[in-house]
Amino acid sequence: MLRSLLTVSALELRTRVRDRTALIIAIIVPVAMATLFGVALGGDDPPLRATVGMVDLDGGEFPAGVRREVMASTELDGVLTLRDLPSRERAQSALDAGDIGAAIIFPAGFSASVGAGEGGRVGVLTSADTPLAGVVANAVVDRISSLVRARTLAVRASLDAGVPAGEVKEFVERNGAAGPALTLDNDPMAGGRVDLSVYYGAGMAALFAFFVVGASFRSLLIERKQGTLDRMRAGPIHGWVPIAGKAVVGFALAMVSVCVTWASSVLIFGSTWGDPVAVFTLLLAHVLAATAITMLVASRARTDAQADGVIMVISFVAAFFGGSLVPLYTLPDVLQKIALFTPNAWTTTGLTGLAGSGAGPASVALPIGVLCAIAVAAFGLAATGFRKGLLG
Amino acid sequence: MTDTLINTLTCENLSKSYGGVVAVRDVGFTIAPGEAYGLLGPNGAGKTTTISMLVGLLKPDTGTVVVGGADLATDPMAAKAKIGYVPQEIALYPDLTGRENLRFFCRLFGLPRREVRGRVEEVLDLVGLADRADAKLDTYSGGMKRRINIGAALLHRPELLILDEPTVGVDPQSRKSILDGLERLVADGMALLYTSHYMEEVERICHRIAIVDHGSVVAEGTRHELVELVGGADRIELTLDGDVETALAKLRGLGGVTEAVRTTAGSVRLIAEGGRYLLPAVISTVDGIAAVTAVEVVEPDLEATFLHLTGSTLRD
Repeated sequence: MLRSLLTVSALELRTRVRDRTALIIAIIVPVAMATLFGVALGGDDPPLRATVGMVDLDGGEFPAGVRREVMASTELDGVLTLRDLPSRERAQSALDAGDIGAAIIFPAGFSASVGAGEGGRVGVLTSADTPLAGVVANAVVDRISSLVRARTLAVRASLDAGVPAGEVKEFVERNGAAGPALTLDNDPMAGGRVDLSVYYGAGMAALFAFFVVGASFRSLLIERKQGTLDRMRAGPIHGWVPIAGKAVVGFALAMVSVCVTWASSVLIFGSTWGDPVAVFTLLLAHVLAATAITMLVASRARTDAQADGVIMVISFVAAFFGGSLVPLYTLPDVLQKIALFTPNAWTTTGLTGLAGSGAGPASVALPIGVLCAIAVAAFGLAATGFRKGLLG
Repeated sequence: MTDTLINTLTCENLSKSYGGVVAVRDVGFTIAPGEAYGLLGPNGAGKTTTISMLVGLLKPDTGTVVVGGADLATDPMAAKAKIGYVPQEIALYPDLTGRENLRFFCRLFGLPRREVRGRVEEVLDLVGLADRADAKLDTYSGGMKRRINIGAALLHRPELLILDEPTVGVDPQSRKSILDGLERLVADGMALLYTSHYMEEVERICHRIAIVDHGSVVAEGTRHELVELVGGADRIELTLDGDVETALAKLRGLGGVTEAVRTTAGSVRLIAEGGRYLLPAVISTVDGIAAVTAVEVVEPDLEATFLHLTGSTLRD
């Protein structure tokens, strides 16, 4: 049976080599993608530099603490420049003029409100023209929000415990909730050294994997149309042989494609993708999931054109929600939750985490596990679909 | 059990429905080694569905298929190894050469590596394409494609060759070549299941024929047995110029004529045992009453049988 499978695979590979799609999708396009992203986004300079306006209408200790911590943060050194602005309107004008990339606004009474355990709301102005500055501003505000929540909780707990209102502030500060302590070192963007060519290169590789394996399953449906699939199935071979034979080639070409993207990025532009074993394992899991999903589509499609269309839609939807086209962190919360259902999101998150961090395979165990789970589920559904349709 | 061991193919009670629509109902027949068996039926009669069940492409709702003693349901690999399937379409790779196509199916069907080369050459000779073996399939003529399509089904030396309309769209020369080749295979002991729209092909190569209509076998037997089902009478179509009614009355009294009817204003149809021999008497009977301007004698044939049994012509 293995010989039959290899015979199908050999013919599929030969066909793809003869019509040059193998060369194009496995070598040329990955190298081109890595080159394009490397030239456009790579290089030695930190890709992330942002000037963020700061409007302090509060004048209290909290904004001052934030400013102090930002200036002292080594992670933000060279990445973030703060520019004081007197009002929201001036901040908006500066943003419109392109003088700043985003603005953080502390409203009047913010520090007092937080100190009284009533929380507070910080405003952020962003511009579509400077999305990365918006990301940095939002990241800073996210940290502030955490601190505010912690401070609010501490104050309420102290009041509930019977600490007099006049003594709460001193009591809380004495017990470790003194004020802002901005540490953004767990944020992948905060290091300022995340190579966007790696981010987008990986995203494109993740997207392209769908097209590469999709082409193999499309050829399976073409074989059904031209009758060769029935001829194979009428012979003394297991019904799964043609499907598995195609899948093996699609999987292998997709692996070559993503690995060539990776190798090009590293060898041509010196980008750092992280621990090779972890990167390879993650890419392997992604391609496995992409293979299973495209197989599922092929198992339900009536024609190769229909399969083509559906795979295209799924690929781009998964790429969009999965951060292959736009950074995940720029998506609203609800879309970020939807992203968890796409293999691209887990792959992109895993690769981004690995890039430059020095972490090993253990750090991407969760993404790999989820990708494998997606693959198992999709393979199961595809098997059911093939039994009802192509092999029925 | 004895039948199963003797026959190359035994199928019983095959039925298949699609959402309540019955495509095949209780079809059963046997094919002995070296026997050519024809399935005749109009489009939509259930021939292709039956064949799909026989080669394992479709699971029957009921019924069994045993090929050379191997049950297709319980031992599909052994059963399929004994079947060569020639689908209606040219089920080969157009961008490969004839030789490459045959080599692929040899390997796919598990022929030992050392036998592949020799067997491919044998089959190329058998289908008369050795001189075009290295040309791409999409450069072949329709007849050549049909021949290599059959060749691909012979590679693993099947005991039973199943052909679904194998001569559709080919020129008379190629058709003759294909039929000659099939007759040789049958003479060598291969069993054949043959479906075709071409009555004359089935009459020529098949020992027994099943007429299929609305998913069921409505008649089965040798050509002679089937023709006997509608009687052995010839049909005589006369075109007369003159007193047709009087001529008709005279003809009804002629010995051997079992039926005489007026079909159109000047046409009369007679049904008569051995009608072709009665023709001189027919003409002399109407002499002086009406002039015979045209005459046609139609002998009983499969077409007439088919028409009688199914109420339609084969190509409807």
